[in-house]
Amino acid sequence: MVDTITLALVLTVAFLALAAIIASRYGIRKEVFISGSRAVVQILILSSVIILVFNLPIYWSLIILLAMAVIAGHTTYIRSGRLELMFPAAVLSIASTSLALLVPFFLVGLFPLDPRYIIPTGSILIGNAMNVSSLAIDRYRGELRNRRGEVEAYLALGASPRTASESCMNQGILSALIPSIDNMKNLGLVWIPGVMTGMLLSGSDPVRAASIQVCIFIAIFLTGMVSTNLLLYYTTSSFFTAALQLKDEAL
Amino acid sequence: MVEPHIELRDVYRSVARQPGKGSPRSGILSGINLTVDRGELITIMGPSGVGKSSLLRLINRLSEADYGSIMVDSINIKQFDPRELRRRIGMVFQIPVVFKGTVYENIAFGKKLWDTDADIDKLAEETGLPSILLDADAANLSVGEKQRVCIARALANKPEALLLDEPTSSLDRASAEKVEGLLLRLQAEHRLTMLWVTHDQEQSKRISRHNYVLEDGTLREDHG
Repeated sequence: MVDTITLALVLTVAFLALAAIIASRYGIRKEVFISGSRAVVQILILSSVIILVFNLPIYWSLIILLAMAVIAGHTTYIRSGRLELMFPAAVLSIASTSLALLVPFFLVGLFPLDPRYIIPTGSILIGNAMNVSSLAIDRYRGELRNRRGEVEAYLALGASPRTASESCMNQGILSALIPSIDNMKNLGLVWIPGVMTGMLLSGSDPVRAASIQVCIFIAIFLTGMVSTNLLLYYTTSSFFTAALQLKDEAL
Repeated sequence: MVEPHIELRDVYRSVARQPGKGSPRSGILSGINLTVDRGELITIMGPSGVGKSSLLRLINRLSEADYGSIMVDSINIKQFDPRELRRRIGMVFQIPVVFKGTVYENIAFGKKLWDTDADIDKLAEETGLPSILLDADAANLSVGEKQRVCIARALANKPEALLLDEPTSSLDRASAEKVEGLLLRLQAEHRLTMLWVTHDQEQSKRISRHNYVLEDGTLREDHG
């Protein structure tokens, strides 16, 4: 057991060092190193408290998921360049969509109402919503910057910021969803995702594992798409002044 | 009777030297005063980067002046809804930008937005766009045709004034002459107030008797 842990950690450090070396070519060595190191520390802490968490009363599951959504929202907020309104909007969009899509798993009885199921499934939805939101906001901002002439041509005709930025927003959402769409297309062909792998390794029936996996997978996609739509729709005003001008400092 | 339409009083504008919040700013417009009467066409000349486009952008509030006041019909533009101001004061940019869709959809954008009674077929005809082009994808037009679409699109808003930011400088000579002639004809027919930015002194003298030069952040009338 100790040997496995040691081997895994040694390999992790080696992979992280290699990733940081390659990342230095793109000027993101520090970010990659810090993110990777955080991941190692955080997951080790989680592994030592997870059993304790699973034994807490059920309302703690909700508190833990909300805390995860706050952290996810903060990550998206940082990725947005600390845009005004972005932090609360990101937390709300990620939390509300993830929770709304988590509830049906327990309503239909696919999973028992137990922290062992609530927390991991909720965290998968929150994590993916965060990834898609961060990608979308980054791309949306880039589109507004690169297509400033087009946006201002709309504004100059008296169009609202929402109309003026609609095409940039759609492009942001589409670009952010490309990895999820590709993953969905190739599910079972190119890769076997985590939940199914875990169930198979623990000896579950493959068809049962696959049914649950595909359901979670579509829920993940839906969460990413809906939360990103909400986020970009409600934060469009952050890119414009009260006089409906593009904000230089937001781009 | 001549009445002032657009007035600028002691207008200042600075721009950030580098992108980002808190970057040092340098002044590009330092106390601009200008009165343009209703239906008048004036030109503003000056070398590149002197602030001609910035000046136009202040009038329809695509950018904000640091100090001073800008009036339309003797009302400070800050008292207008920015969208209504932009409908009344249209703008044509140096590089024409067409929206996704057909030529007809592009021209009809403002009509739909503002529910104006603009006749799209007539506007296309007036701006020299043959009816056969109306169903064409606007993205496939030549630069000169795109500029005509932009002019027709601005006119579909039923504006009272047009801000023209070097509308012919990205066109070849033949297209530039046609667009210039078209704008002069439309100005007379629609009795539009026009502020026409150009860096071409010959063009400036040819199209208007009221020529201004923007230099060192200030505007002076060119009587030469």
